[in-house]
Formats: sequence, structure tokens, C-alpha cells
Amino acid sequence: MRQASAYSKMLSGGRSGPHALPLARIKKIMKNSSEDVKMISGEAPIVFSKACELFIEELTKRAWAMTLQGKRRTMQREDVASAVITTDIFDFLINLVSDSAHDHCPAQESLPVLEP
Amino acid sequence: MADGQSSQGAPGSPAGGSHESGGDQSPRSGVREQDRFLPIANISRIMKKALPANGKIAKDAKETVQECVSEFISFITSEASDKCQREKRKTINGDDLLWAMATLGFEDYIDPLKVYLTRYREMEGDTKGSAKGADGSGRKDGLQQPIPNSQHPQLVHQGSFSQGMNYGNAQQQAQHMMVPMPGMD
Repeated sequence: MRQASAYSKMLSGGRSGPHALPLARIKKIMKNSSEDVKMISGEAPIVFSKACELFIEELTKRAWAMTLQGKRRTMQREDVASAVITTDIFDFLINLVSDSAHDHCPAQESLPVLEP
Repeated sequence: MADGQSSQGAPGSPAGGSHESGGDQSPRSGVREQDRFLPIANISRIMKKALPANGKIAKDAKETVQECVSEFISFITSEASDKCQREKRKTINGDDLLWAMATLGFEDYIDPLKVYLTRYREMEGDTKGSAKGADGSGRKDGLQQPIPNSQHPQLVHQGSFSQGMNYGNAQQQAQHMMVPMPGMD
């Protein structure tokens, strides 16, 4: 039961409050996503703090399966990319992960383009 | 990226009271990196929890996940925001986000999120002193509290959970929605 740790954290209070991710930052990213986003209820970032945790867990587990398939012990960017490409609900990330020229990571070996 | 008006990072105040009438604030230009992503340390911590103890994660993998998470937030938020516009509402609330997630294929997240929200609301109630000393020991049972839809996860999709969200009384819920968040900004 993976919720257990979240509960105990909520009860005991963690580093930066009970949530694993900073709410103010979540709110900023929400506002950045569209000009139409004007007001956000107090609960919305809280929903996201948990949703992002679930999302990260799922993406990480799927990426790790790819790492193991390649008989490696260190997860690489390409493992995350393969996980995205092989999972339907992650379709919206395909452009992001197959973009080898990216502003975020300066030095990056180019990713082999995986066409399904 | 190279847009006329740069460096006007986050439009509006964090209090959610930004009431600008249209106008062209270009939200994507000149947004600082720390406004675009969640902290890599938090991401990394959650990733590690999902791996066996001997699993390692390269920096580029963490950064990719970090970008994916921001994209996820934007993806869901945009869908929720469209819904609000259609319904002529100004404020995106938690239910809108749950609806958007269900619509976009993340229905598996709905039940855990509802449980999380229920816990949160209970705690808020407790700390606000409204249920002072009432059931400090009843907490453990609270975890097992049945959520209306939890026995029928396959039924939880579009629309149906707006009813499902009505655990607790509606007024109290609405009150919580608008409560200013301590430590938010």
C-alpha cells in the first residue's frame, strides 16, 4: 500500500509541510500553463502535489523496467523516453522526450529517435 | 523566447486575486527556471522511493522527469481551465483537476487523490479547531473510511465522480476550497 508513507508524513509533518512538493511552485507552473488560468482554489495545488507524486512514481517505475531490460543499474534519460513512448497516457510527453536539442540540459548526447 | 516584454515572470499576485482584464501578458517568455520546474531534490526523492535500493538514477534522467512533471501540470491544468471557461467559472478547483485527469487517461489517480484530499480536509478541520478534541483517537479509523466510489473504481470516470467528491457536507467543502493556504507563498 503505497499511500501509507504519505499518510504518516501528513500526520507527522515533513520538511516543508505535509506535502512532498512545494505548493507555491505548483501554483506558478499552473499559472504559466495558460493565460486563461486566472484563479486557482487552495485545494488545487494540494491535489497536484499528490498527483505529481503518483505521476513521478509511475514514470520512474516504467523507466526502471527499461533500464533493467538493457541490463543496466543506472536509469538514463533514454529509459524515461522509452517509458513515455511505450505508454499511451504519456503521449503528451513524446515531443518533450524526443527533442534532443533542449534548453534544459546543456550537454546532452543526442537521443536515438525511436519510431514506433 | 525572445519576446518584446521579457522578465515579467509571474503575472499577477500569488494570492490568486489576479483580475487582469485580458491584456497580453506573455506567460512563457522570460519565465525563470525556478518558476518552470519543481525542485530537482524533491523529484529525485520521489523517484528513489519508487526504485529498489540498488537502483541508480543519472542526472539527465532526473532532469527529464522534472520537465515531464511540469508538462503534466500544464496538460491537466489546461484541460481543467477549458472546462471552467465553458462553464463560465473563474476559479479552477480540485474537482476540475480530477475531472481533467480522468478525461486524459489518469483515472487510476482519482481514488488515491480522493483519499488524500479526505485526509487533508480532516486535518484542516482538526487544526482549525472546529473539531477540537472531538476525535483525536478516531483518526486511525478515518483512514479506512469508505469513499463512495472506491468499491467501483471502474465506474469512476467523467462526471460520475462529481458526485463521488461529495463526501462530507457540501457547504463545508466549499468553505475549504476557498480557504487561504498557510505557507503557500
